[in-house]
Amino acid sequence: MNEKKVKIVKRDTPGALDLAKKTVFLDFIKGLSITLRYNLSRSITIRYPDEEKWIPYPRFRGAHTLNRDEEGRELCVACELCVKACPTNCITVVPMEDDTGKGIADRVAKVWEVDLARCFFCGYCEDACPTTAVRLGRDYELACFELDKARKTKEELLKPQSVPEDFEGGIIVQAKLQRTKSGIKVKPNLWKKKEKK
Amino acid sequence: MVDNRDINGDEEAVTTKELTLSFGPQHPASHGVLHLVLDLQGEKVLRADPDIGYLHRGTEKLAENLLYPQFVPYTDRLDYMCAMSNNLGYVLAVEKLLGIEVPERAKYLRVIAAELSRLAGHLVCIGAWGVDLGAMTVLLYAFREREMILDLFEMLCGGRMTLTYMRIGGVRWDATDLFKEKCAELCRVMPGRIDEYERLLTGNRIWIKRNKNVGVISAEDAIDLGLSGPNLRGSGVSWDLRRDEPYLVYDRLDFEIPVGQVGDCFDRYLVRIEEMRQSVRIIEQCLRDMPDGPFVVDMPEIVPPPKQDVYKNMEALIHHFKYVSHSFKVPKGEVYHAIEAPKGELGYYIVSDGSERPFRLKIRVPSFVNLQSTDHMSRGEYLADVVAVISSLDPVFGECDK
Repeated sequence: MNEKKVKIVKRDTPGALDLAKKTVFLDFIKGLSITLRYNLSRSITIRYPDEEKWIPYPRFRGAHTLNRDEEGRELCVACELCVKACPTNCITVVPMEDDTGKGIADRVAKVWEVDLARCFFCGYCEDACPTTAVRLGRDYELACFELDKARKTKEELLKPQSVPEDFEGGIIVQAKLQRTKSGIKVKPNLWKKKEKK
Repeated sequence: MVDNRDINGDEEAVTTKELTLSFGPQHPASHGVLHLVLDLQGEKVLRADPDIGYLHRGTEKLAENLLYPQFVPYTDRLDYMCAMSNNLGYVLAVEKLLGIEVPERAKYLRVIAAELSRLAGHLVCIGAWGVDLGAMTVLLYAFREREMILDLFEMLCGGRMTLTYMRIGGVRWDATDLFKEKCAELCRVMPGRIDEYERLLTGNRIWIKRNKNVGVISAEDAIDLGLSGPNLRGSGVSWDLRRDEPYLVYDRLDFEIPVGQVGDCFDRYLVRIEEMRQSVRIIEQCLRDMPDGPFVVDMPEIVPPPKQDVYKNMEALIHHFKYVSHSFKVPKGEVYHAIEAPKGELGYYIVSDGSERPFRLKIRVPSFVNLQSTDHMSRGEYLADVVAVISSLDPVFGECDK
């Protein structure tokens, strides 16, 4: 029964017809016809970063963010489960007591740092978080000149992401390249969708 | 005494000295960080000695200090061209040790994921092979299709290269309807696109000249050197773990095993092209047959409760804390499980001492074993053919150096 499933790949043996085909350069014509056809078809590339940008699907695992609830309180309760779940030990959490209503409980994170240079972007911290505080967002332009910049502190992570969590994604949108003092940013305009393909 | 004979043993008027050439580790055609020490007599290769280890990260040792689920992301970094297969091999080995059977839907999802990653891996192989031998066009077309597959992965699991999709006891996310739709679309366009690559390469005289009867290895030698995967089948050995030692649902699927006749680079190329067609067939069948139902096993100690329950239910929250901080214990014992990865036989050997961490983990990586046939294949060939031989072996150094 097993032998039935074998398929011997076809290997052309050069014959007279093959020689004739070669003399009229049929093999090159066949190949060139493909490239010429694509020359006339529409481009499939994205004009990134100048004009367009890819907004990933919702499950995308990009840079970390820390979330707040509707009333603006920090969702993180500094339970340190993300630290335990992390395979690379790239997260540092130092808890502290705070009953001023900054967080949803009276235990908040004094320090919440992630070293993106070590991070795997596996999403285990997101899976481990019991309060939806940690999320891997959809920011993927993470290049930086200094290694220190790859360490994201709590203040940076608490800022809202460029793509909201409930945004559908999986589309190409209009974008603008911005040069700032801190580096280059590609700012997407989420409501200007561009069709491709 | 100076040896004046050339490679054929004839006396020559002009004597050429044996030359040692270092090919790589930063050579653009050396597929990553391969360092090949070549002994040359003129243009002919006397000996090819692969020097590996430039990307060594101690993956096997790292595993000893990690919980069983924590090692899954590390397997992504082995063969980064087709990370799903690496995930799959590892989780299957752990599941064999635990003695659990994953639900039907998870099995089908895993097969779809693994075959998509086989497609992605072979596309890179053929594209890079084309570039190495001077056919730039095919790389761009291959990457266009690879992009479609990576978009599918992004939709399915949020990663594009380092996927971490499999988990012990199932998969991490269920497939959405959009994924199935796009997957079916890929299956529709893919055969036509493979025809395109064939039109560009298979009949092309330069491609034939560079690959036919280059790097020939006989079936016996291939078996003796431990080759596996498309490289072994190119030599005419019909051996595929998906058929011979079926795992998941491969025994229910209808597909063919392509084998070559001569065992040269051209056969290995044809085998890969045909394998891509068969992968498309497998994905189509899986999409058709995939049942509904759970995508993780119903075993609370292996798989934590769904996140929705964790936010609402106190018991689920306690269980979640317990799972994340302590993981689960794996029974004492030893296990080996091998799968047919795109590059060949990928096996995980795990020794468990009954704790939450593997006592020892050994990975049998196909690239490492395949690479040792470089010397056999390129001996007596021209220097330029070494490039074709390496491309046809398709080593990936994340995997080879571990």
